[in-house]
Amino acid sequence: METADLSHHISRRFNEDLEHLRGRALAMGGFVEAQLAKALTSLYEGDSSLGESVALDDLKVNGMEVSIDEECSRILATRAPAAGDLRVVVAIIKAITDLERIGDEGEKIGLIASRLASMERPENKYREIKHLGRIVSEMVHDALDAFARLDAESALRVARQDRLVDEEYEAIHRQCITFMMEDPRTIRRVLDVMWVVRSLERIGDHAQNICEYVIYMVHGKDVRHTSLEDVERELRAKGSQP
Amino acid sequence: MNPVAQAWAYTLARVAGLAALGVLLGLMLGSVIAGLLVMLSIALTWQLFNLYRLDYWLRARNLREPPNAGGIWGQVITQVVRLHRRKRFHKQRLLDVFRELRHSTAAMPDGVIVLNANNEIVWFNRMAMRLLSLRRRVDIGLRISNLVRDPRFVQFLDKADFSAPLEVPHANRDGLALSFQVVPYGRQQRLLLVRDVSRQVALESMRKDFVANASHELRSPLTVITGYLETLVQDTDIDPMLQGPLGEMRRQSDRMNAIVRDLLELSRLDAGDAEAAYDTIDVAGLLAMLNKDVTARPRHPQVLLSIESPAGLLGDEAEVHSVFANLVENAVKYTPDDGQVSIRWWVDAQGEAHLSVTDTGMGIPAEHIPRLTERFYRVDAGRARTTGGTGLGLAIVKHALEHHGARLHIESEEGVGSTFSCYFPARRVWQGGRQSTIDAAR
Repeated sequence: METADLSHHISRRFNEDLEHLRGRALAMGGFVEAQLAKALTSLYEGDSSLGESVALDDLKVNGMEVSIDEECSRILATRAPAAGDLRVVVAIIKAITDLERIGDEGEKIGLIASRLASMERPENKYREIKHLGRIVSEMVHDALDAFARLDAESALRVARQDRLVDEEYEAIHRQCITFMMEDPRTIRRVLDVMWVVRSLERIGDHAQNICEYVIYMVHGKDVRHTSLEDVERELRAKGSQP
Repeated sequence: MNPVAQAWAYTLARVAGLAALGVLLGLMLGSVIAGLLVMLSIALTWQLFNLYRLDYWLRARNLREPPNAGGIWGQVITQVVRLHRRKRFHKQRLLDVFRELRHSTAAMPDGVIVLNANNEIVWFNRMAMRLLSLRRRVDIGLRISNLVRDPRFVQFLDKADFSAPLEVPHANRDGLALSFQVVPYGRQQRLLLVRDVSRQVALESMRKDFVANASHELRSPLTVITGYLETLVQDTDIDPMLQGPLGEMRRQSDRMNAIVRDLLELSRLDAGDAEAAYDTIDVAGLLAMLNKDVTARPRHPQVLLSIESPAGLLGDEAEVHSVFANLVENAVKYTPDDGQVSIRWWVDAQGEAHLSVTDTGMGIPAEHIPRLTERFYRVDAGRARTTGGTGLGLAIVKHALEHHGARLHIESEEGVGSTFSCYFPARRVWQGGRQSTIDAAR
């Protein structure tokens, strides 16, 4: 099994180091998830102080990225890992970059939310953003779950969700244009909303990236810039081999 | 004779018989040795054959059909069968108990997860699986904090202080709240209990909302009543007979206003974050202002203000102000005009800051002290009416102090006076210098 890769080590210390590193990356993931949830809540509920606190806490995310990065370099330098272990370290280095970006997008949403809080809220109470927000939050959550379980199959399933996000993004885009044409007074607010939607779409992309790293970590296969169908076919073929 | 001895005697007799037959055969053929040898080797072969049968039977593990053998071999086989039956019986009983135990834990309405010393999942039941969306088999051996990644939960596990359960809203399901409780047991094992507390949380928030909304709704009609009463009291054309009742009405409506104000303040404290902000507060200035307020009144006890430290506090200014104002106000209220109220502010060697307010009032009977901070708690009903308190002051003090990680200590002796002290932890103390401001900002 894949997890066995992590537990068969002559040096127990190394094993612990790797586990610890994974734990820290996932803790950072958990923090970023919470940031995103808070940012969205501040938008839905018009809570400007919550939005500001999200923006402030992004500093912590950055700090986590730097310190996890340092630990990765230390492990690379002192332990010179190979094969599966090397893939784990590399995947973590990449995943935390994406997590940090998700944090940045969350910060943006928080700032916009605190600005929008002082304005009149739309009648539908951001229903379409709520829908998109839920899809994206679940994507991030499931991507991190796949990362924790080293589960390439669910990673692939989550990565496929990104298409849904893109469609949703397109739909909201069109809707926003209609709003602006109907009533030019709303342009300012709708533009801000567009930024939020754009951020959410980007977060979906980052979640997809994390899923790709999971596939890389488990199968040693770089699946970036490949269509998901190809990836699936290849993984199937690999799985059927003895 | 018991069957074992009988079997032994039978076997030995057979060997002896064969040996005798061998000697007889040898005498007839002329060589005793050869005859004995032949017969004994037959005996040996027979024993070996039985041994082989026993071995074959044990190997085949088909213990239902024991081979037929006479003598001591039959006894051995019977013993083996008996041993095996007894073992199987015990095993079955153990299994039954174990299965029963597992079924009962699995059917528990709370989620149960067994963790080892590294917080890795050893076992979990169905409810835990549902509440935390765990996956059977796959998640065994994974760290729980890798799957339940809420920062509050991770911190809770790391801190290893499991005296109080942790309540967090569910990450991806709206309106669902979970409570986590850890019970350490055995050799560094931990039992993690997960409970769905959505209903309690919803009820609690409904209660809070109700108090906040009710106070808010009461405010508008009260404002109107107070407004009219104010003009009526000042109106000189009104029958002097009514002046007394009108004055009383005004005083009572003022008191109602104060109660509503304190209720709103309390619900604001309830709703706020668990941890107050870290704004700098000039304590010396705050206390001087409170002192001035008191001494400006026509009748007041003597107030001794002693500020022994230039340090300030890091916290929410409005909350700290309301703590200090409430304590000073209480002391002044319950101290006769010839009495004395002393306010002391100092920082001890450990870096903790203290504010103590001592009065020479009537004091509080010991049995009332633990309940003083409850909402609307009265030491005696008569007291508050005459002084016009709201009954919420100390509840506000307690909540606001909790926000700052500080605590309240009350000492009192009946007839001598009371001392109310606040202890602020070192992280809440502002040394006032530029360097410490930078430290604080970190």
